[in-house]
Amino acid sequence: MSSQRPPQIVAFGGGGFSMEAGNPLLDDYVLSLTGVERPRVCFLPTASGDADHYITRFYRAFSGRALATHVSLFREERGEPRPFQERLLEQDLIYVGGGSVSSLLGTWRAHGVDEVLAEAWELGIVLCGLSAGSLCWFADIVSKFNGPPRRVAGLGFLPYSNAVHYDSDPQRRTSYHRLMSEGMLDGYAAADGAALHFVGRDLERVVSSRPQARAYRVAWQRGRVVETELETHYLGAAEPSSTAVAA
Amino acid sequence: MGGGGFTMEPGNPALDHFLLTLLERREPRLLFLPTASGDPQEQVQRFHACYDGTAGTTTVLSLFRLHGQDLDLEELVLAQDLVYVGGGSMRNMLAIWREHGLDRILRTAYERGTVLAGLSAGAMCWFAGGVTKSGGAPAPVRGLGLLEGSLSVHSDGEPDRLPVYREAVRRGELPPGWAADDGVGLLFEDETLVRAVSSRPGAGAARIEADGTETELDVVELPRATDRRLRPVPHDIAEFRALRRARG
Repeated sequence: MSSQRPPQIVAFGGGGFSMEAGNPLLDDYVLSLTGVERPRVCFLPTASGDADHYITRFYRAFSGRALATHVSLFREERGEPRPFQERLLEQDLIYVGGGSVSSLLGTWRAHGVDEVLAEAWELGIVLCGLSAGSLCWFADIVSKFNGPPRRVAGLGFLPYSNAVHYDSDPQRRTSYHRLMSEGMLDGYAAADGAALHFVGRDLERVVSSRPQARAYRVAWQRGRVVETELETHYLGAAEPSSTAVAA
Repeated sequence: MGGGGFTMEPGNPALDHFLLTLLERREPRLLFLPTASGDPQEQVQRFHACYDGTAGTTTVLSLFRLHGQDLDLEELVLAQDLVYVGGGSMRNMLAIWREHGLDRILRTAYERGTVLAGLSAGAMCWFAGGVTKSGGAPAPVRGLGLLEGSLSVHSDGEPDRLPVYREAVRRGELPPGWAADDGVGLLFEDETLVRAVSSRPGAGAARIEADGTETELDVVELPRATDRRLRPVPHDIAEFRALRRARG
């Protein structure tokens, strides 16, 4: 069934079960994209060092409505003799957790997870994630881990730059703009609660789990950074019409 | 260390205290790198439980959980007297270190005289290579190569490693080197093995050559240090720390 689906990536600026307890809107959205009633969902907690508490929270959030599994690259998984390559390629959705994007990329490359994910993407397995799990899909990303923010090469499935947690951390905008003036690729920024949904390499729509969450197209044009707010579709119940007219 | 130390045998700090005896500074700076296991809280707590009451000052460097902090890795690592690396997946650890540039920084630290230590993956990483189980079955893996020769760990605790190691050395996939039991520490100075010590009676280590020759090393059993008398906090340092705490 996966073979009928186009390649899709949903990149959360922040949000989902690990950041928005009690607000399942973004997680519901990615599950719905699979088109399967009880989808197979695999969690990749690599960026957190396969933190136990994070894996537990994933199962709590997903095992009720999906066939939930995870792949650990740090600990042996008892009772799971099959290689991760095989297990990843039979999923409907692969969900990448947050943490350190550099540590995630290093570990993935050491195990060849990057190649398996490229295959999964082409097969139409929906790929999603937040924070480090958003940045990883892009070509050119801002790493804030170690000293001043610097550019890091991501997997490059999406040939753009990406910044996350965009409104909650004002420094992110400043560093993103500065790096863009130094040659960073044009790209997309998303705030906590906003998610960029790509079909193939094209942005299909922007959805959000919070009415105020925003996402932006950020580009270098004629010697300056131009930031354009993107139309965002709030996934929750529509707000009363009076507030819409108020502006 | 072929195994042992505070992460594996928290009730037996003999090797951990042995490391302190190698440090000259009165108030040595101790850094723990739990990268190979993904920085689990349990290891971090055991590090603090082991060293917080000693004269050393303790720091843990997480490569997973400090996201967004302004941190100069080079400055932090080069300020240490001891870098202690935990066990786990050697393949993951080296890949992550490379991504953060830590492989280069650790080499500089070594050249400047920082004592580098660790168990399992955290021991083999300093050598040209070792045997990892990161992919399930034991397989040869390259290390940072600060020490010539190779190392295989847990010879007694994980007996499936040693045959793979012997074979890799015989075929030349790994240079000749050493195989160590859990609880054994090999001390190298200027890239030369100077002592083998152990925290457990009967724990051994051997030199293994490409032609199959194996020579047992003389291993000196360390005193069983069950308290911190080996390295108490000097009175003036204790007073200074209390003052610092009081100032907040």
